[in-house]
Amino acid sequence: MGKNRFGSRFLIGLCFLFLYLPILLLIFFSFNAGDSSAVWKGFSLHWYRELFHNRLVIESLATTLLVSLLATAIATAAGTFAAIGIYSLRKKWRDPVLVVNDLPMMNADIVTGVSLLLLFVAFFRGWGAIAAWLNSWQSLITFPTRLTLGLGTLLIAHVSFDIPYVILNVAPRLRQMDANLVEAAQDLGCTWIQAFFKVILPEIKPGIVSGALIAFTMSVDDFVISYFTAGSATQTLSMTIYGMTKKRVTPVVNAVSTLIFLAVLIILIINNIREARQAKLASKRASFEPVRENPRAERFRAWLSTPRGKLMRRAAAAVLCVVFVSTTVFLTAFTTSRPVVNVCSWGEYIDEDLIDEFEAKTGIRVNYQTTDSNETLYSLLSNGGADYDVVVPSDYMISQLIEEGMLEELDYSQIPNFEKIDSRFKNLPYDPENKYTVPYTWGTVGIIYNETMVDGEIDSWSALYDGEYAGQVLLINNSRDALGIALMYLGYSVNTTDEGQIREAYELIEDAARRGMFQGKVMDEVFQTMEGGNAAIATYYAGDYLSMLENNENLRFVVPKEGSNWFVDAMCVLKDAPNYDNAMKWINFIASTESNLRNMDYIWYASPNKEALEIYPAWYEEQYGEELDPEIYEIMAAPQEVLDRCEMYVCLPKATRKLYNDLWIKLGI
Amino acid sequence: MSKELIRLKDVTMTFDDVTVLKDINIYFNDQEFLTLLGPSGCGKTTMLRIIGGFQTPTSGDVFFDGVRINDVPPYRRQVNTVFQKYALFPHLNVYENVAFGLRIPREVTGDNGKTEKVKLSREEIDSRVREMLEVVSLKGFENRSIASLSGGQQQRVAIARALVNRPKVLLLDEPLGALDMRLRKDMQQELKRIQQQMGITFINVTHDQEEALAMSDTVVVMNEGVIQQIGTPEDIYNEPKNAFVADFIGESNIVDGIMRADRVVEIFNRRFACLDGGFAKDEPVDVVIRPEDVDIVSETEGQLRGTVTSVTFKGVHYDTIVDFYGFKWLIQTTDYCPAGSRIGIRIDPDGFHVMKKSKYSGLYGDYSSYSEEYDEINDPTLLDVEEEGAGDEE
Repeated sequence: MGKNRFGSRFLIGLCFLFLYLPILLLIFFSFNAGDSSAVWKGFSLHWYRELFHNRLVIESLATTLLVSLLATAIATAAGTFAAIGIYSLRKKWRDPVLVVNDLPMMNADIVTGVSLLLLFVAFFRGWGAIAAWLNSWQSLITFPTRLTLGLGTLLIAHVSFDIPYVILNVAPRLRQMDANLVEAAQDLGCTWIQAFFKVILPEIKPGIVSGALIAFTMSVDDFVISYFTAGSATQTLSMTIYGMTKKRVTPVVNAVSTLIFLAVLIILIINNIREARQAKLASKRASFEPVRENPRAERFRAWLSTPRGKLMRRAAAAVLCVVFVSTTVFLTAFTTSRPVVNVCSWGEYIDEDLIDEFEAKTGIRVNYQTTDSNETLYSLLSNGGADYDVVVPSDYMISQLIEEGMLEELDYSQIPNFEKIDSRFKNLPYDPENKYTVPYTWGTVGIIYNETMVDGEIDSWSALYDGEYAGQVLLINNSRDALGIALMYLGYSVNTTDEGQIREAYELIEDAARRGMFQGKVMDEVFQTMEGGNAAIATYYAGDYLSMLENNENLRFVVPKEGSNWFVDAMCVLKDAPNYDNAMKWINFIASTESNLRNMDYIWYASPNKEALEIYPAWYEEQYGEELDPEIYEIMAAPQEVLDRCEMYVCLPKATRKLYNDLWIKLGI
Repeated sequence: MSKELIRLKDVTMTFDDVTVLKDINIYFNDQEFLTLLGPSGCGKTTMLRIIGGFQTPTSGDVFFDGVRINDVPPYRRQVNTVFQKYALFPHLNVYENVAFGLRIPREVTGDNGKTEKVKLSREEIDSRVREMLEVVSLKGFENRSIASLSGGQQQRVAIARALVNRPKVLLLDEPLGALDMRLRKDMQQELKRIQQQMGITFINVTHDQEEALAMSDTVVVMNEGVIQQIGTPEDIYNEPKNAFVADFIGESNIVDGIMRADRVVEIFNRRFACLDGGFAKDEPVDVVIRPEDVDIVSETEGQLRGTVTSVTFKGVHYDTIVDFYGFKWLIQTTDYCPAGSRIGIRIDPDGFHVMKKSKYSGLYGDYSSYSEEYDEINDPTLLDVEEEGAGDEE
């Protein structure tokens, strides 16, 4: 028996360890002085400081709080009345309705998110015509014809998924409530509405409060539904955290997660204590057993019903209302008042101080969002839900977007800094007349390897496919790059449309995969893996290699002898961008020499600004008081002879894109 | 005492094709203690709710002091209710529960015909609440929370809360159902006392016949949505109108009989002298013989002879079940006759009560299936009545 008990306790302990160890670790490392999530370098609040200086985090926290508070308030009111309505139905109807109410909670968030997105997009399409008609019909109010996803849709989505939780919490209180209470109140002279405020409301208040608390935590927590319904201009805290982890889990993420965990924990503890107390009271009440009240509570209760106590109660309620309203007003002002420009770029692809500077200089708020690949960006745009102004796709994607009429021509008269762009990066095949783009960065793809894990120097793509480093290679998780590299290795053009050649390239990869060459398919996860020495070889971008080098000096980069891809990422403006002029200002600001220097220094990608590229080594020396390693400079800004070996992607015909896509899905590592 | 206050005229109530009340015609007098008595589902609570204004009859009219009040909402009726489980407001203390109705501004039609909202002054509310708490013997409980009261105390609060509004009629929906046996007896006295002290009409609903007989001036026996009999407790007990009433009120042996002549009734092919008359010659009738009206004598002396099948000691008397020609009677007697013994019985003429045949004939009065256990299972007070929806009867 004793042994048994030990066994079960041990198992329970193990379960809890399994549940809480990750969170404890996260909390622990949020206080790490170093920037690793694996090596303890001493206690520090550094990451919390960093957190509160991170504008993205603070802004999205404001958005999250605003949306959660408003959604909670609306959902609580709506849910309470809905619950009362459901409760007054006959049992025949009541139970099915409650089941229907449970469904959205069980439903996968992603389904809810996608369906809300579809609904909004469909509505927006219809709305355009309705608004135009309304505007033509009367001139009193001008209705906006173009609606986009944003704070409004986010709020609607949150309200809609919060309501079931409120109902779920209020309904049991109604069921427990003596059905005669309302009648008793009416019997004593109350109209229904008086009875609601004097009797129902106080009776179900505990349910309403826990419903509101749970709705609030659900709102704060939500990622998936927000992701689909927030649009491009709005970002909640969880979306920001998601964006941060794409590149590298910095301890800032640990810090913010710790704070969220603690906040939710506190809310839950409060709620549980309340519920336990209520349950005790309710069970005593049901058994008609007199409850011994503690004399202090009794005295307090008596005091509450004195005129003075009543006054204090009303005052407290008024203060709460004022706090709620002013918080909402403040958060609203904080999130929406200024003119904006919506930018979507890649993760860790800008010196964030530049955003602050731009905002300070122009008064325009920058909604800066990130996504992780050209293909993801494309699907976001073609969905119709996004309302970015500025996007920064790569060359081949730009030509695809132009082809599909998704880009707006730029007004170069508003972008004087375009002059400074090196002519090498103007009029490139993806935008031959240069009507749509201002280059942002350029660079090469190459092999990144850990010299302590390989023999000698690597200079050929063969390292990816030969048996030597089986299980040590990271395959780039995007069809264009992965197949492009294989094509290059086989001596074909990266832009070939010959199906035979592409299939040959695919088989090369598939064969290597079958032999267990690849540890996995990665995009930005490559940072963690390579920096941590967990893989020997990867293929990635030169600029990112330099970022990794800062954290692991054993890494090396090479543009293999067979040649490689060189790319340009350029700023474009989307068709019908809501903030076109602000977008011009932003592009001009980023194209300046100063911005380019700072970006180059921060993200290690080469600048297309001729002046900035030339003076960077000198600028670096001035900034840091030491010479820039010419080898590093050469990796960042590949010399012409390297570029000559490289080929730029062009937009492939549709059939070839489909082939790429099919093969990539088939590979399925 | 005999001024008519409430009248129900041709009242019928149906829920989803189920008729709960059928063509009810009844009036209630001022200052009367009246009890609606019947088994679960007989429509008594529905009748109470119609008077209270919580339900509108499907057809028929309700008059209060001669005025039709079908469409008057509960909060405008001069009627207050004590609910089954009291329905006290748990978030308010005793004082506030009682003061609840007084704090609601009332619409009062003045002499000039104008209606205005009148709010009672704090002093008036206070004096009325304290006065009422005194009436129900709850002085000093003002600040207690409802949860800290016993069932009987809660009951008193519920009564005070209703009476403080000075209604003309107090409706009580199974007011003693949630109390234990002893408390119930005490509260019966207490209710009667309060009713006399306040001098208003009490309409009480119960399925407990003892309670009905003990408290009421008038008892209304109901079954299946129809009033079976109205009368004083004595009338109801001594002169039940049909087998249902006879069975429901007290214990009864009900047997088929034939009226051979005035004051001569035949049962089991034997003629007995009785006090009833006015039936046709040879008319088939139901004959009620109360268990306590039967004397046990020796087999040879008996008018009827039978075999004792079971005996239960009840304190004052024995419940003795006797088999007469396959029909089992309950006899309450202080004489002990062991099971299996052969006995004879005698019944005096006033021990017979003859009733006309009704739809209830043949359903009741045979104690073949009688047992302690059976009795208990059928005790409605022990059933946890699941109330369902606002509209459904019990």
